[in-house]
Amino acid sequence: MSIRHHPDDSTLVAYAAGAVTEGISLVVAAHLELCAQCRARARDAIDLGGALLAGLDPAPVGEGALAAAFAKIDAGVEGEPSPPHKPRAVDGLPATLVPWLPTGLDRVPWRSLVPGIRHFRFPRVDSGGGTVRLLAIAPGTALPHHGHGGTELTLVLRGSFADEIGRFAPGDLADLDPSVQHQPVADTDTPCICLIATDARLRFSGVVGRLFQPLVGI
Amino acid sequence: MTQAGIRQDIETVAGTVAPPPELADWLAAVSQRRDRQAFAQLFQWFAPRVKRYMQRQGADPDLAEDLAQETLVQVWRKAGQYDPGKAVPSAWVFTVARNLRIDRLRRQRLYEVELTEEADAEDEHGDGHQRTLERLDARHLTALVGALPSEQVEVIRLAYFEGLSHAEVGKALDVPLGTVKSRLRLALAKLRTAMGVET
Repeated sequence: MSIRHHPDDSTLVAYAAGAVTEGISLVVAAHLELCAQCRARARDAIDLGGALLAGLDPAPVGEGALAAAFAKIDAGVEGEPSPPHKPRAVDGLPATLVPWLPTGLDRVPWRSLVPGIRHFRFPRVDSGGGTVRLLAIAPGTALPHHGHGGTELTLVLRGSFADEIGRFAPGDLADLDPSVQHQPVADTDTPCICLIATDARLRFSGVVGRLFQPLVGI
Repeated sequence: MTQAGIRQDIETVAGTVAPPPELADWLAAVSQRRDRQAFAQLFQWFAPRVKRYMQRQGADPDLAEDLAQETLVQVWRKAGQYDPGKAVPSAWVFTVARNLRIDRLRRQRLYEVELTEEADAEDEHGDGHQRTLERLDARHLTALVGALPSEQVEVIRLAYFEGLSHAEVGKALDVPLGTVKSRLRLALAKLRTAMGVET
């Protein structure tokens, strides 16, 4: 997998700082799983968080705080908490996403959105005012031209799409902010499956787009 | 968000005392030997800073103290997962505090993946662009942050300490979103350059 499109440094900073919605963090985590280069970049942003924590003005804690911490430690079960069961990637589906789709990308419980576009909404993920979902875009189908009220992250999992910015293949992440207007088109002969998270509603432009908005609710 | 408040924060960051070099030894002693004396040292150093972090995130002093205590209890419990060769102690404790903050103050979670360099080596899909990343010396990095221009420290602080999204940072400072992002990029690039990391 040769990844050419990556999250912006400012997005990795927001992720490391914990200043993103659950939905956005899910897409960043799935990309990090696929991209060693971005894992290294994310480590830089976490190191920065550590340096900032170290630099904070200490707030005095109560006299008994340490003893209370030891009491908590002694009351708990000693030893390693058993590491949570870690799912493995299922052909093309990053392990991060497997808990929602244990049978992989070939058996997604799709729902039809509009002709040529199916979607799967991730349950129990808090996305603030936005959404997080998988989209399957049929070959040759274009999403309506749209802009963004906030951040939109799109991670390609299968197939590819092209828009005004470039061509996006599996592992590529499109990191768009409100200044960008684009119209992605699935440009191979298989459906393009991508994971999309927004933290605010999209803004469709044009008559078709405005008709589209209430239908899809994204 | 008052200008005076921001200025004070910048001074706090800039006038920072570097973390003691013993942090890694203390954490290793807790990890390998369940050393209570070393834990006490870690607690004395980190708990007041984590408490301040929680207060910045909106917790009142009592709740902030509870969360600081809980963070350090988790440090004890998870210490076995800490690998001194792989992470800077303050960065590792930061992630524990951050995750507790998101869980307790926002009732959300942050999806994460293994970020160690071991995970990179296992990556079959690696794109051949493996960097030899020098792990940052925490003392060095803390000093570098203090030397950043105040407008960059300001956006970093709002993201890390107040958990504000970039759009919210832009509103708080009355600057466009693009400016917030470019300041963050510049700050990170400067830190990387200073650390000798290829960007």
